[in-house]
Amino acid sequence: MENLIEIKNLHASINGKEILKGIDLVVRPGEVHAIMGPNGSGKSTLSAVLAGKENYEVTEGTVKFLGQNLLEMSPEERSWAGLFLGFQYPIEIPGVTNVNFMKTAVNEHRRQKGLAPLTAAEYLKLMREKMAIVEMDPAFSSRGVNVGFSGGEKKRNEIFQMAMLDPKLAILDETDSGLDVDALRIVATGVNKLKRTDNATIVITHYQRLLDYIVPDIVHVLYKGRIIKTSGKELALEVETRGYDWLIKGE
Amino acid sequence: MENNYIYIPDKSLQDEVEFKCRVPLENTDQVFVVDGEGENRGLRLGRGEILPRLLQIIQVRSRQVEEDLSYSTDYILEEGAQARVLLCSHTLSMLDFVTHEDVNIKLGERAVLDMVVMQNEHNKSRHSSAFKVEMAAGAVLNLNIITLHGGDISNSVEVSLNGKGGECCLNGLYLADGTQRVSTNVNIFHNVPECHSSQLFKGILDGESRTSFSGRIYVAKDAQKTEAYQANNNLLASESAKAYTRPHLEIYADDVKCSHGATVGSLNEDELFYMRSRGIEKGEARLLQQQAFAYAVLEKVSNEALRERLHSMVESRLRGEFSECANCSKHCC
Repeated sequence: MENLIEIKNLHASINGKEILKGIDLVVRPGEVHAIMGPNGSGKSTLSAVLAGKENYEVTEGTVKFLGQNLLEMSPEERSWAGLFLGFQYPIEIPGVTNVNFMKTAVNEHRRQKGLAPLTAAEYLKLMREKMAIVEMDPAFSSRGVNVGFSGGEKKRNEIFQMAMLDPKLAILDETDSGLDVDALRIVATGVNKLKRTDNATIVITHYQRLLDYIVPDIVHVLYKGRIIKTSGKELALEVETRGYDWLIKGE
Repeated sequence: MENNYIYIPDKSLQDEVEFKCRVPLENTDQVFVVDGEGENRGLRLGRGEILPRLLQIIQVRSRQVEEDLSYSTDYILEEGAQARVLLCSHTLSMLDFVTHEDVNIKLGERAVLDMVVMQNEHNKSRHSSAFKVEMAAGAVLNLNIITLHGGDISNSVEVSLNGKGGECCLNGLYLADGTQRVSTNVNIFHNVPECHSSQLFKGILDGESRTSFSGRIYVAKDAQKTEAYQANNNLLASESAKAYTRPHLEIYADDVKCSHGATVGSLNEDELFYMRSRGIEKGEARLLQQQAFAYAVLEKVSNEALRERLHSMVESRLRGEFSECANCSKHCC
């Protein structure tokens, strides 16, 4: 089957400082990848570069997403093509309601596909259905985007948005940070419910904890801007018990 | 009620300037003031008199009168009287209009006036409005000034709180682009104890527009238990727009609650990226942010139908489309 994403020798800098120093990664449909690594290894930079955040400069390498040159696309084009980034720190947008925000996004996706916008009733039905996946109270829809949401509510909102946009590839950046056990379970269950044979997920995390719920097929360890180890799910457990030192020393 | 103001019938308007409001709000009485024509405009309500319907005063400048115009209007509400007024100003042709308008408001004890000012004029129009308000004990004024469009618009508001328990709520939204100018000058005089005033003025500036806000809250020595708040927030949507703001408190009493705050900022990049990452196109994301910024002021408009209409007019204005009342056939500015 066609690769969803092919990252080759990706180098990226911010303010002249090189953070990613040659990333190679291929994700196929149906796969769940985990990227682990200590603080400052470049995990969040990788997700930001893939989503198209402007202040990062790609200095070398290529990224193909469903055959297209991802690096030439604007953030919104990447979203329309089927890429989704779950933010580590979801942004609050006071004055823009959740419903207005997601309705605009969903209808923009539909417009790109040549579909008519959803009617208010159709949107509401879809919204309730997807909110149920993360056990989110529909009352949240009338509130400002993420405004006054707890850490757990923000992360649930990310997965709700993912469900609404139905991406081909979701990159979840530290989705487990700031979650208690219950919220972690709800978020992970949500992600698992959205898993299909034609989509894929990259889970970026510090800890093994999340990977008890979202079981990866492949685990990568990122260190100083490079993937230093790739293996099966047992690697995550090994990192949990032994830390990163043994891998770093092996480098 | 007809005696309280001059009504210029549609017919003569049709003949002279071909203007008619085709989309009036429900439960509204409309009055047209063409080129400042007519004495005794405005409103006089006797003791306890309550205006049941919204009074919409539509002021238009037409090509019939090219010279500068200056006129004044009185709104006098005696004790316990209540009224809701929508004051619109439009320009019907592209002449370099200069208009000066004095709006004198006198509110008797416990009188309530809810006034929305909607300014929608063309790029060469210069319009200055001076609102002078005197309030007796327990009187309530809600004044919302929505400046959608205009060449050089100046609004000055002076409120004297002269009786205990007066409440004055002033809000404004100004939208400017191109080389437009909007200036706002507010003076609130808390002359007596136990009055409440609040101000929320917000501006969205694009292009090379300039706006200025200067607001003063004066609290007299005896005006204890005064509560007075002021906020002015400006959003710069371009790099060459400039917003000036000068908040000013002058307090001589020692038992008061007063605050002021002024901000000038640009669109939040993190918010923009978040929206774009969800597939909301850049221009639309910027628009959503600007609408969100304007939201708080428009929500202060108490009449729901009018509020909805203003929301959509602000949206089309921010989209760079002509903002008109829904389905109006006349491009009146």
